[in-house]
Amino acid sequence: MLAALEHATGGLWPYLVVVLIGFLPTEIWRVIGVFAGRNLDESSDLMIWVRLVAAALVAGVVAKLLLAPSGALAVVPLWGRAGALAAGGLGYWLMRRSVLGGLVLGEAVLISVGLIYA
Amino acid sequence: MNAEPVSRPFWPSFVAGVGRAAGLPSLVLMASLIGVGGLTRDIGYPMFAGVLSTILIWAGPAQVLLFGSIAAGASMPAIAIAVSLSSIRFFPMVVSIVPLLRGPDVGIGKLLLGAHFVAVTSWTEGRRLLPGLPVAERFPFFIGFACMVMAAASFATGVGYYLIGALPAALAAALLFTTPMFFTLSLVAGSKTRADWAALILGFVLAPLSTFVVGQDFDLLAVGLIGGSAAYLLHRTRRKG
Repeated sequence: MLAALEHATGGLWPYLVVVLIGFLPTEIWRVIGVFAGRNLDESSDLMIWVRLVAAALVAGVVAKLLLAPSGALAVVPLWGRAGALAAGGLGYWLMRRSVLGGLVLGEAVLISVGLIYA
Repeated sequence: MNAEPVSRPFWPSFVAGVGRAAGLPSLVLMASLIGVGGLTRDIGYPMFAGVLSTILIWAGPAQVLLFGSIAAGASMPAIAIAVSLSSIRFFPMVVSIVPLLRGPDVGIGKLLLGAHFVAVTSWTEGRRLLPGLPVAERFPFFIGFACMVMAAASFATGVGYYLIGALPAALAAALLFTTPMFFTLSLVAGSKTRADWAALILGFVLAPLSTFVVGQDFDLLAVGLIGGSAAYLLHRTRRKG
C-alpha cells in the first residue's frame, strides 16, 4: 500500500512525509501548549516520564545510525565509529562540558579513521 | 506605517533579536542540522524536503527520528508516533513561555506563530532574555531571534545536503557522523539525574536488541517506551528509598 501511495504522489511523497509524519505530530503539542491556559508543572511525574521516553528514543535512533549506517558513514568501520563517539564524549568532559568541543574532537577521530579506510 | 502611529515599532526589537541570535546560538543550530541535510540525501529525499523539515518540524531530534527511522526501514505510523512522543516536551515548554510573549497586541495568531518557533535554543534563550525586556518588545525580539537561528539552521541543512555528495569519502562520513555525535553529546549534557543516564544508556543498548526482537517496523518505539519507562521506574524507586 505504501509503495502504491508513493507512486501515486510521485515527487511530492518526501514533502508529504515531512508534513504528515514530521510536522503534524510535532506541531500539535505546540498548539495544545498555546491553548492550555494554566501553568503546567514541568516537574510532574508525567512530564518526567515523557522526558525519559524522548531521551531513550533519541538515544535509540542515534545507536541505529551508528551501528547500521547507510551510505557515506558505512566506509568507516564499527570500531572507528564507536571510538570517535567515545573520543567525543571524552572531549566533552575534558573541555569543561563543551558540546562543540566534544563534537570537534569526535569528528577529528572519525576523519582520521576514515582517511585510513576510505 | 504612518497609518498606525499608536502601534509600537516592530523592527527595532526584531533586529535586536536577530543580533542576539547571530553567533553561538546560530552556530550550535548549524552544527546540529548540517548532518540532517546529509541524512536527507542519504535516504534519497530532495534537498528542499530536508530544508522544509527544518522550517516546519523545527526540532532536531524529531527530524533525526523521522529520517533516521526511514533509513532504518520503520513503518510510517510507528515513525509518526515516535516523532510525536519525542515532541511532547514542547507542550510544557510552550505553556511556560506563552505568558512571556503575551501582550496587548499579541493575540492567539501571534502566539501560535511564536509557539511554532519554540525549540530548545529559542526556549532557553527566550526564558533567559525576555523577562528583562519591556512587554511590547518581547514578541518581536523572540521572533527575530528565532528567525535568525531558523535561517542559519535551514542554510546548514541545505549545505549539508550538497556537501555529502561533493566531499571526499572521509569527510562525507564525518558529515553524517555529526548527527549521532551532536545528539549524543546534547543528551549527555542534558542528563542530570540517574534516571536521565539510565534512559540514555538503555536507549543505546536496547536499540540493536530490539531490531531482532520486535522487528524494524516498531523497534524504535519499543526502545523509547521500554527504556524510558524503565528509567522512570528507577526515578520512582530512588525517590521512595
